[in-house]
Amino acid sequence: MSTENPSPLPSSDAPPSGFKNPPPEKPSDIRRRGYVILSFWLIVALLGLPIWWKTTSIYRADLPLQEMLDWSDGKACRPVFPLRISIQANSLQDQEAQNLLRLTQHALDDLNDFAGHHLRLQLSPPVGDEPVRATDNGSALTIRLSPGEATTATLDPYEPILDITYPPNNIPSPTASSSALATYIASQLRSTFAEEQATISYLLSTNSMPSEHRPLGLSPESAESLAKRTTRSLKYAPTYHLTFSLFTSGPLPSSWDVEAAIEEYMKPVLDVLSPIHNFTIDTQVQLYAAPGVQNDLLYKQDLSSFINAAEWPLSPSIGGAPTINFIVFVGNQTIVTSPETESGGSQSWLIPQWGTVYLLAQPYDTTHVSVETLKQPMLTFTSHLFSLLGTPQSGSLPLRLSTLTRIRSADLLLRASSTLGSLARLALALPSISIPSSVADGVSKTMYHLRLACDTLGGADGLAHARVAEAEAERAFFEKSMVGQLFFPDEHKIAVYLPLLGPVAVPLIMGAINEFKAWRKRRRERAEKGAEKKKE
Amino acid sequence: MDGKVTVGRTAGLYVGAAVLRLAIFTLLPGIPDLLTGRVEISTPVTSFKRLQEGLFLYNHNVSPYDGGVYHQAPLFLPLFALLPNASSYPIFTYLLYIAVDLLSAGALWKIADSGEAASSALFTSPRKERRWSGFVIAAVFLFNPFTVATCIGRSTSVFTTCAILHAIAKAVSGNPFGAMVAISFAGYLSLYPFLLVPPLVLLCYDKQRSGRATKSVIPFAATSVSVVAGVVGFLFGMSYLITGSWEFLPSTYGVQLTLSDLTPNVGLWWYFFIEMFDSFRSFFLGVFWLHLSCYVGGLTIRIRQQPLAVLTLLLGIFGIFKPYPSISDTSLFLALVPLYRHVFPLMRYTFVIAAVILYASFLGPAFYYLWIYAGSGNANFFYAITLVWNLGQSLLVCDLLFAVLRDEWEVERPEMVGKEIRQI
Repeated sequence: MSTENPSPLPSSDAPPSGFKNPPPEKPSDIRRRGYVILSFWLIVALLGLPIWWKTTSIYRADLPLQEMLDWSDGKACRPVFPLRISIQANSLQDQEAQNLLRLTQHALDDLNDFAGHHLRLQLSPPVGDEPVRATDNGSALTIRLSPGEATTATLDPYEPILDITYPPNNIPSPTASSSALATYIASQLRSTFAEEQATISYLLSTNSMPSEHRPLGLSPESAESLAKRTTRSLKYAPTYHLTFSLFTSGPLPSSWDVEAAIEEYMKPVLDVLSPIHNFTIDTQVQLYAAPGVQNDLLYKQDLSSFINAAEWPLSPSIGGAPTINFIVFVGNQTIVTSPETESGGSQSWLIPQWGTVYLLAQPYDTTHVSVETLKQPMLTFTSHLFSLLGTPQSGSLPLRLSTLTRIRSADLLLRASSTLGSLARLALALPSISIPSSVADGVSKTMYHLRLACDTLGGADGLAHARVAEAEAERAFFEKSMVGQLFFPDEHKIAVYLPLLGPVAVPLIMGAINEFKAWRKRRRERAEKGAEKKKE
Repeated sequence: MDGKVTVGRTAGLYVGAAVLRLAIFTLLPGIPDLLTGRVEISTPVTSFKRLQEGLFLYNHNVSPYDGGVYHQAPLFLPLFALLPNASSYPIFTYLLYIAVDLLSAGALWKIADSGEAASSALFTSPRKERRWSGFVIAAVFLFNPFTVATCIGRSTSVFTTCAILHAIAKAVSGNPFGAMVAISFAGYLSLYPFLLVPPLVLLCYDKQRSGRATKSVIPFAATSVSVVAGVVGFLFGMSYLITGSWEFLPSTYGVQLTLSDLTPNVGLWWYFFIEMFDSFRSFFLGVFWLHLSCYVGGLTIRIRQQPLAVLTLLLGIFGIFKPYPSISDTSLFLALVPLYRHVFPLMRYTFVIAAVILYASFLGPAFYYLWIYAGSGNANFFYAITLVWNLGQSLLVCDLLFAVLRDEWEVERPEMVGKEIRQI
């Protein structure tokens, strides 16, 4: 209101006969109006524009976009797992052993079609009967050659050792270009690491690795089974929370010796897994727990709805760590594996990425579940825990665990790289998104740890670095102030600015234009007057 | 109208107003607490409840700003700490608030009696005979339901009101120093009165005593502003000594500037900033504050001849557009409007304005109840009614502005008196 010409003028709605022009405005009034308009414009120009500039300018930290994209395209790091295999041949001459090693390496190289996963043989110095520990010399597997009746190969169940016996006449001669024993060792090694190789090549192929690093020869069936296994296992986390629950359909049993059972049957496995994961454990007992399916016979399609998620106190995650649920259900239900037999075959099933349910049949007056009764459930849980963690299924336990380390490192490395790539593409795609310095910080930390992880891939350090890199990458990508702006295109700014500033701007601009026009008119009139005067 | 106001009538008015308040306080003990909790009366920066919280922390040697509830000036704390506990001996608090109201009325009375509204130093209205006496104006203020409700609700904005009215009273009675000190107190308590300094300086300049008058306005303004700066600096220093840190600055003025407490009130800011995108929040805070302050320059220049009219209109505008308005700000504006009795005939929408303000006053609490307690309405209900409320106030501001300008214009163009005019 006050920006408008505040001097009211007489109306012209009187009949035209009595029409009278208003007297001209006084110069003082004109000057005053100019001042009024100027006062508004001064506030807009001196305070409004700096405030606008200061509060809406976007801070974009510098990101090493090209490097980030290189990481996600796999150009920055070739995931190579150089696995060293020691050959321990106490009974062979050094010369013979060297020769065998060379031939076996040739055979291996011929068999291998995947450059990322490379087996390199080395000869370990002959020692006494003391078994060589795999971790001592950094090799993933030790081959112990000993003369015997026939060619056999057995994996040591407690150490990463492959025992191979051979008939003494099978030793290749120094001049031979091939040998049956060498080929045999090579094929044994290959089959031992086949699953690991397949898993890693599957991981690489599902990520956006360039094709030259991609292994060929992954059959659709094996890819499918690997996909199934990957979807079954949980996302990697440094810590998992294990919840052991006893649910009973009636009032009994009301107590269980779960602590002793875990100590006895589960703890050894958890200890073995401790370099890769930490575990926290809690237990609970719930009486009168009604399952989601009330039938006595459980068919395959019932199993998925057996968990009564609404009533059973199974919290999705405690303290940030993902939870794995192990449920012992005491009731009279049985599982029907095939419709024909109608007899209970198995007693447990695994729920992908969630946990395991074990149906425990007990006499109805049992009040206490003993350690012995819990043995079978605990063993089942242990084996399911391996599946849930994504451990490969073949091979001896130490081999499976070292394979798990390598698979997880590769997985984390690839995930962190692809998160970096997504972040880089996001920064490129949305030029108006603000990038706080904490994101740049996270990115540089991620890349530092990725580099270290890439260099030490396959070892324990590699896993630790990959873990840090992945956590940092996730934090940088899900930065709170950026997520909000993700869906804020530039066009929306019109909707933000216009409703308020539009109506404010109209009188301001119109006032300025009118004033400018009047000023020009006055100047012209003055000039004309001056000219007339001169003429006179 | 009635020229002679006897001492008896004055005393009668004050005693009547005091007795009315005291009666409500004592005979209806539930009312004060009820009104204290009303959003129309208590805003986050004036609430008596929050003052109690700050006082409790202060008395227990904890910083009153811990916990983020108390957003008022630190100097309230020693003042209220002197009084006995408000919950066990509420009578002393009541008496303090009543005294503040009566002081405000006294200042208003002085302003009215000076006749500044109708005949300033540079302008004399042809209608100046038509005016109410100070008695009537003080009575209108004291018995205005908004004023009474604010007093009963013990909102600390009554102190600001008192300081502003005293600043104007000092200014019209030719005491620039007193006016500047008073406006500094008001600004110290609620920040926005600092925007009143330019017209107040002009008012003081116009009303200087002829004996020691400063000729030019610029040195005069510089002196006045330095007085304000000095007094505010002194008050800040005192606050620092009391609270022991500068924490009070972000907790009091910072909250007003950044609107971090979004408790609903009768103003326009809270709803807007609830809906605002976070990334634009600071920009629109700047826009709203600039909008609030941009009227000062324009109005001061345009109605240079009547600085009191500028002050009145600005108080009306602040009652609408400030971050945490309450009915207390409206009551201050409505206290000054009757000074312009002489231009009332020139106003065009008096009926509409009265109707809209009454409508909003009755429906506002009802809509708030529907939203918060009954749950059958939502925030839009209350916001809609506050829009109506502010529409009524802005109509009153515009109409008063129109009437004042028309009054000025008729002096210039006597032949147009009483004719229809059209604004272009």
